[in-house]
Amino acid sequence: MERFLTALFLIVTLAALPLSASGGDEGSENISVQIGISTREVGAAMPSMIERFEAENPGISVEWNKVPGVPNDQHTLYVTNLAARSDKPDVMAVDVIWPGEFIANGWAEPLNEYFSEDFFDQYLDGMMNSVTRDGQYYGVPLYTNAIHFFYRKDLLDKYGLEPPSTWEEMIQQAQLIQEKENNPDLVGYISMWAQIEGLFMNYLQFLWGAGGQFFNTSGKAEVNTAEGIKALGTMVDMIYKNGIAPESILTYKPNDAMALFRQGRAVFMVVQDFVWPMLNADDSPVKGEVVMDRVPYFKGNENTDTVCMGGWILVMNPNSENKEAAARLIESLTSEQSGIELGTLAGSMPARKGMENNRQLLSEYPIAETLYKDFAVGDVRPSARLGSNYSEVSHIMQKEVHAALLQQKSPAEALDDAQQQIDALLN
Amino acid sequence: MNRSVKEYRTGLLLVLPAFILVFFILFLPTLNTFRLSFSHFKFPRGVQGSNGLQNYIYILKDREFLQSFLNTINFAAVSVLFEVLFGIFLAVIINKAFIGRGLVRTVILFPWVLPTALNAIVWRWLFNTDFGFINSMLRTLHIISTNINWLGKIPLAMNSMISVAIWKTSSFIALMVLTGLQTIPMQVYEAAEIDGASRQQQFLKITVPLIIPSILLALLFRSMDALRSFELPFSLTQGGPAGSTQTLSLFGYRQFFQYLKFDLGAVVSVVQFLFILVLGILYIRLLRRDES
Repeated sequence: MERFLTALFLIVTLAALPLSASGGDEGSENISVQIGISTREVGAAMPSMIERFEAENPGISVEWNKVPGVPNDQHTLYVTNLAARSDKPDVMAVDVIWPGEFIANGWAEPLNEYFSEDFFDQYLDGMMNSVTRDGQYYGVPLYTNAIHFFYRKDLLDKYGLEPPSTWEEMIQQAQLIQEKENNPDLVGYISMWAQIEGLFMNYLQFLWGAGGQFFNTSGKAEVNTAEGIKALGTMVDMIYKNGIAPESILTYKPNDAMALFRQGRAVFMVVQDFVWPMLNADDSPVKGEVVMDRVPYFKGNENTDTVCMGGWILVMNPNSENKEAAARLIESLTSEQSGIELGTLAGSMPARKGMENNRQLLSEYPIAETLYKDFAVGDVRPSARLGSNYSEVSHIMQKEVHAALLQQKSPAEALDDAQQQIDALLN
Repeated sequence: MNRSVKEYRTGLLLVLPAFILVFFILFLPTLNTFRLSFSHFKFPRGVQGSNGLQNYIYILKDREFLQSFLNTINFAAVSVLFEVLFGIFLAVIINKAFIGRGLVRTVILFPWVLPTALNAIVWRWLFNTDFGFINSMLRTLHIISTNINWLGKIPLAMNSMISVAIWKTSSFIALMVLTGLQTIPMQVYEAAEIDGASRQQQFLKITVPLIIPSILLALLFRSMDALRSFELPFSLTQGGPAGSTQTLSLFGYRQFFQYLKFDLGAVVSVVQFLFILVLGILYIRLLRRDES
């Protein structure tokens, strides 16, 4: 009896194992392709883009893996899957700062055999650079975005002010409006200065606007420069000396800033362009009063690029079991038609050449003209040259910039400390 | 004889599946972490030979590691201390017989039942300086006139995080202490009353000594938990402002998943493991001594 029970137990246990592993697929001839992309910047357009793809490609169904909206969380998710050689997701949307690392680790399928040279030529050159290595293309840019400058036109008009183009003007105007409005709930300036990637992007915009660069002329990362100190010093002063930014800005992420600005409680804001549709939605208290423009620069630096650009790239999982179908999906999602949907429905600008002249996009989404104009004075983060060290360098900068913004260190001390840590890491 | 050998074999066979499972998902990865911490690791090729103690030296010299270590101890010590105090208080209350006790017992457990990450996100909005509920309430009640920057100041951010932990886990300690309280027979109190002991004396001389084993057990569980706290800082502050709420687990996570430095991440895990192990042994010693 005992022996029988033991045997029965083992048989049942072993028999159950493959059960849990199979499940699903059987009986349907449909190929399923999984795409990992967050709802954050494409949510409104994805359903119609997927529907159209499925209609045009009978036999292929798309499974949308709605990955977290925070880039770092997405990175963790992808790395976990890729390190375990998972075949899912088949297609991944990755941040423009990741392809270098993905290519180095063999996590992105070379795409030359799936598409022609002309195909790749349709996309913005800057974005293509981030996915090209030794003549091989490892990804297709989906959309591009940037950090822009937003202001309340009604408030500026009320006091007869011209839109500011320099930081000096902006600080003065913010102080004036705060003083005249005399509303303790109104802040002059809001942005995303929590200890996140967005803080580093913000810092870079101030740095570029002061005429500085992350790398010096001999290609070495040099952050403790006069321009760096001016940039960081201005940020600190905006909180404590000029009093135009609240101390709570140090906990703010993009959506927090958007919420405050949307409530009509901020004059100026610097965040990504994905907030535009939310600011102009029918239930938005500031609808029609918001203007989007390029990020200011410091006086005397008119010719600097101050718009920090980002964007998302579609890469293919090298372990995918449906590579041909995955390639068709990438092609469809980055097509002109999809680009128009991305722009008009979700406010994310396709990274395709010539979209600034696309009548359909411009007529349905007039702000696209402003966006592409701002992209023209845009630059990207130093990720290409830093490669797989990028995220650690960014973390060091976030931490030290934050320490200065909390007045734990002077801007010069913070940047010296950052320099020391970056040198130790890179050498 | 024959029968006992048979039984022994059957026992082994029955334990085998569980043992294999534990071996592969618990024991092997732990060993691998130790091995990793002494290796040179490079993605995607993997381990590139031994690195001796170099990884340990690198991490121990890292200022951010030290800061995270101290943050972790601060977080664990303060939160566990207050959790135990509140926990005993709650347990004594819900041990009393009153109308609606069942309901109160259930409600008290709510914060503990909710996932930490969810709690943290809710609290992030409650703590929001400019449109959060807490500041809005304090302003309406005229307790404050300017908004408090709960998560953006040092050391206030850490204290805010600790208060969320206390809110969440006091009820867990209460539950553990309650089980201790319920093992104390009523007769002991009745006898004390006859001998003329006051309420206070009864609490200090009977209740406290008899629930000490439950408290120690609760301490053990909670300290281990608090020392590897990850979800709370990750969802609430992401370690900010300026790294002041970054715990060891969060620091280790960055090494692993953001920088892909598995060797350094393994060092952090091993240090954390050894620290918690020593603490756990100390607690268990205390518990044993108490029992004997």
